[in-house]
Amino acid sequence: MQQADLWYKDAIIYQVHVRAFQDSNGDGIGDFQGLAQRMDYLHDLGVNAIWLMPFFPSPLRDDGYDISNYTDIHPNYGTLEDFKKFLTGAHERGIRVIIEAVLNHTSDQHPWFQESRSSRDNPRRDWYVWSDTDTKYRGVRIIFLDTEMSNWARDPVSKSYYWHRFFSHQPDLNFDNPAVREEIWNVMKFWLEIGVDGFRLDAVPYLVEREGTSCENLPETHAILKDLRRRLDSEFPGKMLLAEANQWPADLRQYFGDGDEFHMAFHFPLMPRMFMGLKLEDRKPITEILQQTPEIPPSCQWCLFLRNHDELTLEMVTDLERDYMYDVFARDKTMRLNLGIRRRLAPLLENDRRRVELMNGMLMSLPGTPIIYYGDEIGMGDNVHLGDRNGVRTPMQWSGGWNAGFSTADPETLYSPLILNPVYGYQAINVQSQKRSEHSLLSWMQRMIQVRKSTPAFSRGSIEFLYPANHRILAYVRQLGAETVLAVNNLSNAAQAVELDLRRYKGNILIELSGGNIFPRVGDLPYLLTMGPYQFYWFRLRRI
Amino acid sequence: MAEESVLTDDFLRQLINVGEVDILVGLPTHNNATTIGPVVQAIQAGILRSFPRERAAIINADGGSRDGTPEVVTGASIDDTRYKSGVYALRTLHSISTQYARTPQSGAALRTILAAAELLRAKACAVISPESVSIGPEWIDHLIRPIYKNGFDFVAPLYRRNKFEGLLMRNLLYPMTRAIYGAKVREPYASEFGFSARLGSQFLKQEIWSHEAGETGPEMLLTMFALAGGYRLQQTFLGTKAHVDHGSRDLVPAMRQTVGALFWSLDPSFPKWSAVTGSQAISTEGCEHEVTLEAVRVNRKRLYEMFRSGIAELDPVLSSIVSAATLAELQRIAGLAEDDFRYPAELWAKTVYEFAAAYHTSVMSRDHVIQALAPLYRGRMFTFLLENRDATAEKVENNVELLCQEFERLKPYLLELWNSGK
Repeated sequence: MQQADLWYKDAIIYQVHVRAFQDSNGDGIGDFQGLAQRMDYLHDLGVNAIWLMPFFPSPLRDDGYDISNYTDIHPNYGTLEDFKKFLTGAHERGIRVIIEAVLNHTSDQHPWFQESRSSRDNPRRDWYVWSDTDTKYRGVRIIFLDTEMSNWARDPVSKSYYWHRFFSHQPDLNFDNPAVREEIWNVMKFWLEIGVDGFRLDAVPYLVEREGTSCENLPETHAILKDLRRRLDSEFPGKMLLAEANQWPADLRQYFGDGDEFHMAFHFPLMPRMFMGLKLEDRKPITEILQQTPEIPPSCQWCLFLRNHDELTLEMVTDLERDYMYDVFARDKTMRLNLGIRRRLAPLLENDRRRVELMNGMLMSLPGTPIIYYGDEIGMGDNVHLGDRNGVRTPMQWSGGWNAGFSTADPETLYSPLILNPVYGYQAINVQSQKRSEHSLLSWMQRMIQVRKSTPAFSRGSIEFLYPANHRILAYVRQLGAETVLAVNNLSNAAQAVELDLRRYKGNILIELSGGNIFPRVGDLPYLLTMGPYQFYWFRLRRI
Repeated sequence: MAEESVLTDDFLRQLINVGEVDILVGLPTHNNATTIGPVVQAIQAGILRSFPRERAAIINADGGSRDGTPEVVTGASIDDTRYKSGVYALRTLHSISTQYARTPQSGAALRTILAAAELLRAKACAVISPESVSIGPEWIDHLIRPIYKNGFDFVAPLYRRNKFEGLLMRNLLYPMTRAIYGAKVREPYASEFGFSARLGSQFLKQEIWSHEAGETGPEMLLTMFALAGGYRLQQTFLGTKAHVDHGSRDLVPAMRQTVGALFWSLDPSFPKWSAVTGSQAISTEGCEHEVTLEAVRVNRKRLYEMFRSGIAELDPVLSSIVSAATLAELQRIAGLAEDDFRYPAELWAKTVYEFAAAYHTSVMSRDHVIQALAPLYRGRMFTFLLENRDATAEKVENNVELLCQEFERLKPYLLELWNSGK
């Protein structure tokens, strides 16, 4: 693989929903023309990749993850031409575009499903997973516990049951059918030919079902994914596949194969443990899960995130940890959804700027490609009363003016209410006001992204944890070639003294990366640092 | 500064690394490598099971072990034990160790633990004996929860004991403490106990550490301090206390640690105890007491002979300590044949009070007072063993209760001695 093809390792990904970013035509809904207008903002922020949430035609009963046409644009967001113009604008600014490939299921309004249900001898009947009973695959877990009672739903039209791992209006495609696999590749090819740079493949563990299994992570599923990758490499080299597989590290590892399956996968178990470590003031949850994380092939990369469009998922934690997380981050039960917490970054951290910075600091210095969820770079809040996960999908807050600068429509017609409260409301938290201050969170994020981008050891380097006796300190060395970077994070809300064993780096001078100041040379004695509450340092080790 | 004398630089560095904790378990040790591993693992399991979210540390104060005890403490891991199943640590659980001296001294050990607890701002603490091989993880919950959750300041243990174990407790420490402070604390001298930050911090400030009672019997003093200071006390049932036989040669040191400390505490707390009459039960978790009846081999004849020889050899000493009437009565019973020998409860209570008064007025070296009590206590042991030889658990308890009542009835006599300065 060419070095340039590893672009995803050096990426800073910005996750955005077209609907939520900028409305260009005054209908109250964000669109591609609006997004294109905001590309300079993203370029200035420093991100070099965008991950777009689903923008395809859809009944929008699951925010677009219920697709009714894979090869078009939802009219709310514009046209295919608008998309192409946006894509060109992004590429002109050096920003790659990753789109969603929701392969596991379609909307029940998709023509394929309409045909499939219409009769038992329809040619597309076998495109979905049908059964005369709801007893097959017994014991397979239900993912949306709050809304679904079963993974089977009875279709009144064909008078039989269809399989669905998510909402009942999202029937699972039958990947045992070669015609389905071929059609899915055609869908991906359609977007690759337009010029997208990669796909985030949604819900990949669930593609294939087999009796007597959990119907997750099956070898047959991996075979299908490997086949997609083979076609991608052969016809569209340099494009990237990112796996959404909310699984334990050992199961996640399989999605990288031998470097012949996914290029990247989200590290789901790490994310809640970063929050847990911060709240416990203890590095243990973080170091423990990273110790359990297996090596991945050299061409592959983890994707790290703090928050995204979904709830802060607590599926990949123990019961003890989940109870703790609920108690400390979502004592109010309205904040809980399924097995998770539907909150944005800033409210989760009680709007504590120091903690927001520390978490972003870890996000950008731990091994993996960081993803920033839109609005988190300015500390946007949420609205847990909006139902489902809509509370973290409110309009981007551009200014303190009309509709936060998001839309010229009447406020009542916006796709979602704006955040209005005095702390997180758009008049307090917005891009325009933060751009005016070099000390704002936005300005800080810009600087940190620049430092991260100029430090390849963070994106591609190895990691070695130091284990100072002070457990409130998370310290690690990232190394790539001759570049060695030391990251030291104080997880405590109190000042801490820490002695680091840096003897193997004896003679090096520490240079703090954000300010460029030099720190004392490493000697034979433990290297003593005193750190303020929630403070973190990134040091380059230089032998001069 | 008290801390300067007990905290080494290395220990201080370890404490800095531990940082603030909610729960602290102190472990005083000296050459306990053979028993300490399972004890530490039970403590770890107890913390993780009962306080999984709390910040916790195990602090080992070692008195110069040469058998690797500190290494066993710091190296013990929950992963190696039968407790591993169902136990998961959210947090880092620190086990740190310091050598406070080259020779063991319970005062320095407890002081080290108290100082660490204060510096780490521990909200609830427990001290566990390194010899308590019968410890289960639930002990930690029983000792700490009343403090951490229910606002108690001191938790004393209750054990399941054989009727012939804990005789000093049954014949002297419990009855006298109960009569003096008016609280029915069954185990006023405990090798396992819990205490609050408030109590620990106040006790640490006391000017006791350079006195012999503070050096040898701080655990007893802590109980007395809690009783006299109006702190909230609770008793909690821990189950079987493994019996560690140190032989009869340990009696005098044991009496220094316990009776000496009890007598010593009477001076500073006189205003408090002199106003107390009768006794009250204190809050108790679990059974109040459990007595088992298995046969235990005790050489009664030797106790009888040691009593008699003590009376004969210590006549000049005893005549300075006890009243003429008491001495005469002691000499009379010393003349009885073994089969007829009895040391009655009333005489015993009176003897103890006269010793306490002699200790108070320092008629001689206070240590000699305690040493002189040892042979008399052996006589009382003989009587207790004889009286309860065939007794049921209820009968044993009844006999203990009668002795306690005798101590309470005679308390005015102690006050009289005290006020007269005799």
